Amino acid sequence: MRYFHRILLFCFLASTSVQVLAQETVPLETDLHLATNAHKLFETYCFDCHDGSAKEGGLDLSQLLEKERFDGTLVFENLITARMPPKDAEQPTSAEKRVILDWLSTRQAEDSPSSYRRISRHEFVHSVNDLLGTKLDVVGAIPEDRGTNAFDSDRRIMLTKELLSAYFTAADEMLDFAIPENGFPLEQTWSTNTIKDSHDTYNVYVRDYKEGLLFSWTRANNGNSYSYFYDNFEPPVKGWYELSFDAAKLGEFEEDVSILVYAGKYYYADDRPQPQRLLGVLSVGNKVVKAHTIQGFLYPGENVSVHCYSKHTWRQQQGEQGAYIKQLNVRGPLLENWPPPSYRTVFAELPLHAPDRETQKTDSSSTALQQIGGRISVSSFQEGMEKEKMQDRSNKTFWHTRFTPDVAAPPHFVILENPSQREIYGLLYSTWSGGNGNGQIKGYSVSLSNDGTTWGEPIAQGTLEVMLAAEQEIPFPAKTESKFIKFLVTDAVSLDGKSLASIGSLDVLVNSAATSPTLKITVASSSPDDLKNVIRRFAEVAFSSTLTEHELAPYYQVSLDAFSEHGDFTQAARQGLKAVICSHRFLLAPGVHRNESYRAAANLARCLWLSVPDQRLLDVAKADKLTADSMLAEIDRMLKDPRAMRMIHSFCDQWLNLRSFNKVSPSLKLYPEYNDLLNYYLPQETEAYLYHLIQENLPVSYLIDSNFSILNQRLAEHYNIDGVIGQQMRKVSLPLDTPRGGLLTMGSVLKVTTDGFQTSPILRGAWVSRNIAGNTLSPPPESVKAIEPSANKATTLKEQIEQHKHNASCFACHKSIDPYGFALESFDATGQWRTKYRVETPHQGTFLYRLEGYFELAGDVDTSGQIGESEFDDIIGLKNLLLTDHKKVAYNFAKKFFEYANGYEPTLKQRIELFEMIPDESQECRLKDLITKVVFYSYNGSKP
Amino acid sequence: MKNTNRTVGTVNDDLANSKRRDFLKLGAALPLALNSLSLRAEEKKKQPPRRIIFICNSLGFYAPYFFPKSHGDLATSEYLKDMKTVQKLTVFEKLFHPGMATSNHDSEKSFLTGTPNPESSNFVNGISLDQVLAREIGTETRFPFLSFSIYNRGWGCSWNDRGAAIPPMHNDEQIFDLLFEEEDLRSKQMQLKNDSKILDCLRHDLAKLRTANAEPGKLDMYTTVIRELEAQLEHEKYWLNTKKPHVEKSLSSDREFEFSTKVNNLFELAKLAFRTDSTRVITFSLDWIYGAIKVPGATGGWHTLSHHGGNPDVLASLSRVEIDILKHFNQFLFDMDQIPEGDGTLLDHTTVVMGSNFGNSSDHICNNLPIIVAGGGYRHQGHRVLDQPTPLCNLYLELLHQHNIDAGKFGSSQKDMRML
Repeated sequence: MRYFHRILLFCFLASTSVQVLAQETVPLETDLHLATNAHKLFETYCFDCHDGSAKEGGLDLSQLLEKERFDGTLVFENLITARMPPKDAEQPTSAEKRVILDWLSTRQAEDSPSSYRRISRHEFVHSVNDLLGTKLDVVGAIPEDRGTNAFDSDRRIMLTKELLSAYFTAADEMLDFAIPENGFPLEQTWSTNTIKDSHDTYNVYVRDYKEGLLFSWTRANNGNSYSYFYDNFEPPVKGWYELSFDAAKLGEFEEDVSILVYAGKYYYADDRPQPQRLLGVLSVGNKVVKAHTIQGFLYPGENVSVHCYSKHTWRQQQGEQGAYIKQLNVRGPLLENWPPPSYRTVFAELPLHAPDRETQKTDSSSTALQQIGGRISVSSFQEGMEKEKMQDRSNKTFWHTRFTPDVAAPPHFVILENPSQREIYGLLYSTWSGGNGNGQIKGYSVSLSNDGTTWGEPIAQGTLEVMLAAEQEIPFPAKTESKFIKFLVTDAVSLDGKSLASIGSLDVLVNSAATSPTLKITVASSSPDDLKNVIRRFAEVAFSSTLTEHELAPYYQVSLDAFSEHGDFTQAARQGLKAVICSHRFLLAPGVHRNESYRAAANLARCLWLSVPDQRLLDVAKADKLTADSMLAEIDRMLKDPRAMRMIHSFCDQWLNLRSFNKVSPSLKLYPEYNDLLNYYLPQETEAYLYHLIQENLPVSYLIDSNFSILNQRLAEHYNIDGVIGQQMRKVSLPLDTPRGGLLTMGSVLKVTTDGFQTSPILRGAWVSRNIAGNTLSPPPESVKAIEPSANKATTLKEQIEQHKHNASCFACHKSIDPYGFALESFDATGQWRTKYRVETPHQGTFLYRLEGYFELAGDVDTSGQIGESEFDDIIGLKNLLLTDHKKVAYNFAKKFFEYANGYEPTLKQRIELFEMIPDESQECRLKDLITKVVFYSYNGSKP
Repeated sequence: MKNTNRTVGTVNDDLANSKRRDFLKLGAALPLALNSLSLRAEEKKKQPPRRIIFICNSLGFYAPYFFPKSHGDLATSEYLKDMKTVQKLTVFEKLFHPGMATSNHDSEKSFLTGTPNPESSNFVNGISLDQVLAREIGTETRFPFLSFSIYNRGWGCSWNDRGAAIPPMHNDEQIFDLLFEEEDLRSKQMQLKNDSKILDCLRHDLAKLRTANAEPGKLDMYTTVIRELEAQLEHEKYWLNTKKPHVEKSLSSDREFEFSTKVNNLFELAKLAFRTDSTRVITFSLDWIYGAIKVPGATGGWHTLSHHGGNPDVLASLSRVEIDILKHFNQFLFDMDQIPEGDGTLLDHTTVVMGSNFGNSSDHICNNLPIIVAGGGYRHQGHRVLDQPTPLCNLYLELLHQHNIDAGKFGSSQKDMRML
């Protein structure tokens, strides 16, 4: 052993190739050599504290080193990030350090990661969208399969039958949309300036104004933000719609008024709210009416609703303050082009037969019954409350049986006529929204007839809710084509003993998709060769490889079989396309690739775009030229492409855990300022900021602190920054006295690390420690009593947590957790600045939202802490502390991005390489460079 | 750090092997249903079928309120004193899963598998008990098993024989539709036909690659998944000929207490599924998120509350959550016991296991798990304190035997202790 000491060891570390050579010729020798040197270095630098007798931090290195294989991650990480040896101790030279690191990496007991991974559901949906030329979001239909793994790409995640089955379903849904069997729906237009009725408590915040409606701020009583549902427009089929609001701001204040536009099922009062999706936000600053337009994906059965927000118009019932919406104009379902992109993408140069798709205007006042050419008749009516009032699409007006001069005798009924014998699935019923309930229907039965005189047994009977005014569906057990449908009132509210009946609106339920006219595009070909080419082109992109006839055969065959069976070229092609996107070559990565360039192209596209390669990448790959320089050029190009935003979104989701952002709803008692609008923009700030850092290739230190962020009016309000008008996101210089700047102080991050009530310095501290500072933490040791801050004792919060100090086994890790959390105590669970804690005050009865909330201020926030030898007073101090070691922050980022790109944590060997990518100069350590290097290293196997 | 899964791995391999034998016997793609075609008619006349449900409350129950204060007397349990079916349940004390000392929340993954060290980075789970049961007693129903969770987390109690999570269903309305809503048979038929063809196509492709001997592990895995999906399609095809049972929709739509409503509805769906014999095996994972939940009498982050550290204020809120869960559980047992079946009630033929991976979630301790076994026609004992800490898998093994499954071992089981 002694003999090897004398051999200079750095020679074989100098370059990879030399190292490989050395290992091949004298593996034993070098190994022993390395070991002996490492041992010696451990003796010199570590054993003072970590030998069998001292065992500081419970670590006895001398014993550990005896082992053939052990997990040296903690030792390795402490050494590489210069946490150990301690600053005041003698430091190894960088060459010596490298010896120890190398040796530790050879001793590492690591399982080699699986050679492949399944693609994630996000990658699946983006890829198929790009393959088909669609923009669908069907991720929700595929089960989340990440489990407790941090990254979607994790190779430990297994494909299951349930998942494959979900991919079959998702594939169908997407193909149905791209190449619909029954053709594409016509584009229609609607115009409306009325809203559906809502509970009285909300009606005070909206009123008729000029030609349309005036909305003021409308947070409803129990905390749900009620929004107003537009009447006279329902999407006939699912698809993209353009929603154009002619709107203006009213009020003498500087800021814009925001209109939040949602899609969801109509509800009348918020005791039965329906979930709504926020489609977008209109920022209205103009005082003269102008069009504000967004696009939204809508489903049949949904309505479009709006909610107005401005901090100046809280419950304004008088005066001209708020947002005036003159009219909503809708156009859709939209297709980008005609023939639609999906046909151009899939069928490329094949000749298409596409009939003209002209805009057809529907009469926005027509009901489903009117659309199928139906009529209505009633048993009796009161003047001014005629049968037409059930068909005017308003439940403020209503039909009523005759009560003067005499009271009409029962039976009371409505007959709906269906002269063209269309398929009817049921009835849609609403009470009228005013009155005291008298006459409202409690029981009904439905019977059918073909001549209007002889009626069959009732096909449906049941009860209805009264005083609800929301729509109630009355489904039939089976669809009917009968000419006459009788809706018989069997029971009604009778407050004065008279037999009365009234209805706000009554309509038939028809399958609107089936009744909407469609246009079918056909491919003018019946050539099997054409079919084969369609499948080939699609499969070669999806699989990122050229395919031999032999390889293509199964995918082509399934289409050919379908073609010979029914002769429909497009639908036959669909079968093959579906097989391609359910294939292991597509779902399991890496697939089977013709050459290394194709494999690299697939990897790059998946990592940076969550998709399949584009034509350019494929062209480079075909020539097998995606190597070294060209790969760097491609990474650069791909990061500049808008599709890189998917990577940013996905990476933030995983690295910063923003995927859990919406799982936390802040308490409105403690944080009445929080609302949907803020919730919508908080994650956008983080993503837009990171995107900016990458595009501009700014230093990694910007992750920690910055003199700008990407903000809008609502975010600036949240951060107490003046002078930002309008909800468009833009780069904003931060004032000198703000604590903001960098990721740590963003509301998104501050919110996701809480439960929406209290902040936990432990949770937040662990988050910073793991995700930003990059400390290696172990789980709590066995059977240690948990120390948790109690919810209602804010004053002693810090003292309680500081108990960790008194227990050595706790403190070993918590000294690297809690202090980060302390510094962030300046921010509440929504990310607002605070100097005192809010403590909930008890109150009786139903929660009634109010601006001042239900809390009192108690206890000063103490944000001081100590990490290592360095003390800090507050968040600024913590940021400065983190900034002193840019290499550690960059190293952590590189490791996280590596894991994102590869689906496993870098091995110790790989970590050495990653660390070496990081420039010593903070200003030279730039984010886009770092990402480029990590990606290149991941897919090329060497450092650029 | 070394994985200590060896014994368990072997055990699960045994189970997998015994299943593989069955598979070979029946033919690879033979639908689960065909196997039971002839049996079904006879079965009808015989004993009511045996069913089983497992419920895992991921944040456990506060032990001093859960376990009876005096041995054997349920009336001395703060939480269980109001149980209505008191004659038909047993609370076990001193059950635990070995190998969970540092597992923390990861222990939830092993609740029904007993696989140790779920926190380790190279952890591979074993098959869960419900899946073993589903293979044997789940073949004759429309759904071989059902798996529920509160949230859309993607994993719950059920794990397949490769240790992969089976995503539970979490949308109560969708579950109701799946179980009871008629579907368009023609298009469903067409879809099944097309999907079978696509599976054929994928299999052809695999066969080609296999001869090229490229990446056998990957291809084997995919082949297995394809085969499983094929079997599922065959099963679905068979059941297309049977109309779904019609039941009145009895789900609550109370939005004030969403968590509470969800728990209520998933129990309700479990009851309906059993009553209509739509399935005989169910798992129900009461999973958690950091965000706040609201139950009658308390609002707060369930997870935050679970780390009560003995604080009486926090415990007061936490106990409201736990009482709410047990209220729905109580109602579920009661309802099941009100439905006559054969010579007894639906509950008498349904084994109900309610428990948790945590004995003390405040300190993340996985000893002395709160476990209730109810129904199933066992000789119940109200409250049974075992002599010494005993692997929960001993009870699981016994449950396998109770369902006529001849297993020598399950997870960390030592022996069938005949506790029931």
